[in-house]
Amino acid sequence: MKRNKGMIVAFLTPALIFFVATFVYPIIRTVMMSFFKIENVVDSIGKWQFTGLANYIKLLQTPIFHTALLNLLKIWLYGGIIVMTLALLFAVILTNGIKGKKFFRAVIYLPNIVSAVALAVMWQQFVFSNQFGLFKPFADMGGWAWLDPEHKFLSLLIAYCFGMVGYHMLIFLSGIERIGGEYYEASRIDGASRVAQFRYITLPLLKGVFKTNITMWSITSVGFFVWSQLFSTVTTDTTVITPMVYLYNQTFGSGNSVTERNAGLGAAIGIILAIFVVIVFWVCNRTLKDDELEF
Amino acid sequence: MKKILALALACVLVLGLFAGCGAKSDSAKVVYWSMWESTEPQGKAIAESVKAFTEKTGIQVDLQFKGRSGIRDGLLPALTANQVIDVFDEDIDRVNNDFKDYLLDLEELNKKYDYEKTAVAGLMDACRVAGNGTLKTIPYQPNVFAFFYNQKIFDEAGITAAPTTWDELLDACAKIKAVGYIPITCDDAYITCMIGYHLGRLVGEEGVRDIVNNNKWDDPAVAQFAADYAELASLGYFSPNVASNAWPAGQNTELAGGKVGMYLNGSWLPNEVKDTAGPDFQWGCFSYPAVDGGVNGPETCNYGAQVYAINKNSKVSDEAFQLIQFLTKGEADKKLSEYSVGIPADTTNTEWPALLSGVKPVMDSVSVRWSWAVGVESNVDITPAIKENTLKLCGGSITADEFIQNMKNAAG
Repeated sequence: MKRNKGMIVAFLTPALIFFVATFVYPIIRTVMMSFFKIENVVDSIGKWQFTGLANYIKLLQTPIFHTALLNLLKIWLYGGIIVMTLALLFAVILTNGIKGKKFFRAVIYLPNIVSAVALAVMWQQFVFSNQFGLFKPFADMGGWAWLDPEHKFLSLLIAYCFGMVGYHMLIFLSGIERIGGEYYEASRIDGASRVAQFRYITLPLLKGVFKTNITMWSITSVGFFVWSQLFSTVTTDTTVITPMVYLYNQTFGSGNSVTERNAGLGAAIGIILAIFVVIVFWVCNRTLKDDELEF
Repeated sequence: MKKILALALACVLVLGLFAGCGAKSDSAKVVYWSMWESTEPQGKAIAESVKAFTEKTGIQVDLQFKGRSGIRDGLLPALTANQVIDVFDEDIDRVNNDFKDYLLDLEELNKKYDYEKTAVAGLMDACRVAGNGTLKTIPYQPNVFAFFYNQKIFDEAGITAAPTTWDELLDACAKIKAVGYIPITCDDAYITCMIGYHLGRLVGEEGVRDIVNNNKWDDPAVAQFAADYAELASLGYFSPNVASNAWPAGQNTELAGGKVGMYLNGSWLPNEVKDTAGPDFQWGCFSYPAVDGGVNGPETCNYGAQVYAINKNSKVSDEAFQLIQFLTKGEADKKLSEYSVGIPADTTNTEWPALLSGVKPVMDSVSVRWSWAVGVESNVDITPAIKENTLKLCGGSITADEFIQNMKNAAG
């Protein structure tokens, strides 16, 4: 085919301009901002005060940021294990020829199309309520309340995982459905049980899907914001604060009071979170290699 | 031919893309970004009044309901980008601080339209203080933060006068508990106001800010607060749900549900819970009581208002001020007060909503203004720990000493 350089340039240039304007420039600007003290996120560069590594040093020395990071880690790890396990379990069940597959798939996915605000209100006011909540009897047995400061994180984790299972189940589902039926048929003839099929066929062939799911989970975990805000009305809670909430508080102010703002500190948090995602992605790529698989 | 057609279509596309950028504002149109939602009582009242304003004056208004977060997160970028916004509103402190670079000085317009004659003097003063000595904002929908109580429970308990001192509050709590009700509740959203007010009574707002910003958690005022609140908890004066009430559980199901006697909140509370409380609920109100050894009393309170401001770059500032005057005076102010069960801003609107009749004496008696939560939330890094430990203290799961130690640990 004859190459027309003019056409290539004409078609690529607008995309390139938009890519630079919407991705490259904000990244460079955010990295720069993290070395400055900036009162308003929209301040012109002339108003920025250079502070070097002060924002990063402050983050290292701020206990509430450490708490936020720890909360994020717990959401990522505990939540990840719960969500991936349930999502995989449901996906396997739904691909085993049960009746009403479409119905169950829709039901499990349903929380994803309901507003997080509505879901959070439901969980807090009707499920975890200490007066008439659906789960109140469980807490009563232990003499505690779901939404007290000691147990709020657990409540948040349950509510959040409930909403996320469906999304990751769909990804697993598509991965399992991609595996040819002949592998299962052949193994069945050889006398393999369902568990053995899952262990030696499904799991190994889902490596790539696991990588996708873990990466997606990491990205959504790092951006964990709405649920934390909804579980800490007006003022932030220590128990459910995440780095993204702290970033917001530093950039736009917190609660009803007028507080000191530093968008540079917010940018530094953004950089740290981006590095976290890159590390997770790198580790996934190193440990979950699916290049050798062909099916 | 195809190339020409493709080129022409591309040109149309590009022109279409940039068509919006060149739009010029109509010079006679006032663009108003409102902090309310159109479905809220305030939004409905304002929408009706804006329509009436246009009918009366012929001045067009582009009213855009942005909601709280729309103003807090979106206004500053829009102003910085020179977007045409003439009037905006939000809380008095937020407007005068966060948007200070874009506020038009309103003293001249105030004189020209003789605005102040029928405005609440204390709030106009508060606006000048917040505006560094000059008037940059116009207050509307005043509010006061105080204890709201269920008059029926007070009557049943034989409490004839609202508490003015801490001992009287303890006495009232004992009487309420004796007749089978819970004396006090709170929600997570307002728990910091309780510590803020108590510390404020002891050391004033500057003292509170000093404690939270310089982490002076070994201050005697902190110890006294912790001891007083630990006593309330140990005597069973707080609701057993106080540490786990996610707003609005406490105000809706406990206070409005008739189970609890008192709740520290703003004068917007009767409006928020009116559907749950029902028409027979009788509201009472009293200022946070004086505390032994404190530096101020019930005359000092967190009161304030939402405020209107005009963008200093507005080309229709005169028309914008006329709009503000229309919305904060006469019928429009009365309508806002009725719809939102709020306090009128026009002093000629002497009739307050019946639900707020108990608030009027408190509002009339306060003379010194505190900001929100008496400044206890002014340190972003420590506020979450204050909230957590105050909830635990009220819930009785930690002692006064543990409260102080936890706060020291949280400060690092």
